[in-house]
Amino acid sequence: MANVTLTNVAKRFGAFEVVHGANIDIRDGEFVVFVGPSGCGKSTLLRMIAGLEDISGGEIAIGGKVVNDVEPADRGIAMVFQSYALYPHMSVEQNLSFGLRMTGNPKADTDRRVKRAAEILRISELMERRPKKLSGGQRQRVAIGRAIVREPQVFLFDEPLSNLDAELRVQMRVEISRLHKELGTTMIYVTHDQTEAMTLADRIVVLRAGHVEQIGRPLDLYDNPDNIFVAGFVGSPRMNFIKAHIAGRDAKGVLVELAGEEKTRIVQPLAGPAPETGSTVIVGVRPEHFGGAGEGDADLTVAIDVVEHLGGTSFLYARTAHGEDVVIQRDAARVPQTSEVTVSIRKSYLFDEKGLRLR
Amino acid sequence: MRNRNATAYRFLTPYLLIFAIFWVWPIISSFMISFQATRTVPWRFAPGFNWGRLIGDPAFFNALKNTLLILVIQVPAMIALAMLMAVLLNSPLLKARGLYRFAFFAPVVVGEVAYSAVFRLMFSLDFGIVNKLLNSIGLPKIDWFSNVTPAMALIMIAVTWRWAGYNAIILLAGMQSIPEDVYEAATLDRVSKLKQFFYITLPLLKPVIVFCAVLSIIGTMQLFTEPFLITERGGPGGGTETLGLLLYRQGFRSLNFGYASAVAYTMAGLAIAITLVQLWLTREPK
Repeated sequence: MANVTLTNVAKRFGAFEVVHGANIDIRDGEFVVFVGPSGCGKSTLLRMIAGLEDISGGEIAIGGKVVNDVEPADRGIAMVFQSYALYPHMSVEQNLSFGLRMTGNPKADTDRRVKRAAEILRISELMERRPKKLSGGQRQRVAIGRAIVREPQVFLFDEPLSNLDAELRVQMRVEISRLHKELGTTMIYVTHDQTEAMTLADRIVVLRAGHVEQIGRPLDLYDNPDNIFVAGFVGSPRMNFIKAHIAGRDAKGVLVELAGEEKTRIVQPLAGPAPETGSTVIVGVRPEHFGGAGEGDADLTVAIDVVEHLGGTSFLYARTAHGEDVVIQRDAARVPQTSEVTVSIRKSYLFDEKGLRLR
Repeated sequence: MRNRNATAYRFLTPYLLIFAIFWVWPIISSFMISFQATRTVPWRFAPGFNWGRLIGDPAFFNALKNTLLILVIQVPAMIALAMLMAVLLNSPLLKARGLYRFAFFAPVVVGEVAYSAVFRLMFSLDFGIVNKLLNSIGLPKIDWFSNVTPAMALIMIAVTWRWAGYNAIILLAGMQSIPEDVYEAATLDRVSKLKQFFYITLPLLKPVIVFCAVLSIIGTMQLFTEPFLITERGGPGGGTETLGLLLYRQGFRSLNFGYASAVAYTMAGLAIAITLVQLWLTREPK
């Protein structure tokens, strides 16, 4: 087991920089998820930790040892690929044991490790099959098994569930969580799916366009995002953003007036310096932070476009008088039957024009 | 549905007619001719005449021996060389990849007569560049055209030169279809590049290698141009005469069509038999 430290890690392809000086400190035994939209550099970062991509700048240390120039096989890592990368011409057993056999590991030890991995992943009855005779979920287990037999200090997962159907994804998510508990090994997991990130991670690293936007525990990111990107990326449906401006201040904080809603003012307490009166800001409201009329800080009348019923809860897709789209979460029993509804904002976040959180 | 099929067949009729007249009929006809004594006029039906002669004909066995010798030496050597070329072409270190790919493939496009003439010049006893090179490194000259062993070697070199690049391009296409992450997984498994080649590339390329081998076997069984043009009609003294040449000599020089047909059917039969054995030996385990 080992901690992983990234210090100012950069990646350039020619003149094009795709990762800009990432600083991430992953503790021993921690489950860290790199999450971000396509092209944010999360897979590149993972491949640099694995040694499959050169590091253009900065330093990567695994277990306290700088590994910039260490061969991938000597870094004490094992990786699970998005496409599984199983050896198609080998049986499951051969896939699991291939690496150990090729490096002259004693047969008894190889057998022990393969047997243990097969038991952990419950694939013992599949050992003689070729990958093409396995289902997607089974292939993924074999790919994970191949990582387990290496007994690595750090597991790397590169979008391992993205080729599976929704149901299997949920199932494998639970399995990976269980595996982490069982092995207690450091795991780094890359995904573009914020639900996977929220459910699996001890800590999440949110990336965008090669920059680390925020690092934190899932609920910390959810409750306390640093900027508008993290606020919008974490949580589903995403946070609503409504244009507003600073109307003044009182003893409790600044007064925020929503665009086109002169009577709707929110009082936001701020610890830091307050923006000038009249400056443009953005108010972020999560779908579940809308209450009934009079329940929150300020009331807002919206026109309902579509209602999605999910059973216990429903989502109202609506528009403000100013023409901004908002999603409102409601208990199924409280869905209004009218085309207009007045809601209140019970909790909101304030962002400046550049998208940085004001608090 | 029937109507639509009928229309389709009407459109296909011109092609099917040509196919029947120029393909199917000659195949049937030559089979029947192989059972006729064609050295007398009129031809007469004599099933044992040609096939009986074949079994006891030293010229046939000489041609068969030569053809098989070329087959067992040249085909494996060429495929090994093609594999090496494909690996080089596939290397990320290679610059000007397109140029090499073209250069390797170019011999196939060169006219057979032109390339045979160049080979004759290159290997000529006194003026050839090959003997000059041998001399320059202190080796004796070789009379490529007057001795059987060098003449056979020359045929094999020529055929290999012409077809190795072609096979390399096919193998390269196969190599490029192997996903990169399989190699990355092997690299993380601490498997060396050499072992990756033998334990991953080769097994995954097996269907492509078999395809190349089958094509080459069929081609070599019909080998004609090189021994006809380079070693002058299978010379010296029939030392490089192949089944293809024997067929030509019997059919078009002696006008013994019956015997030529029997040789042709033997060539086709052997090619099919060898290919089937090859496919059986390299079949995928269940």
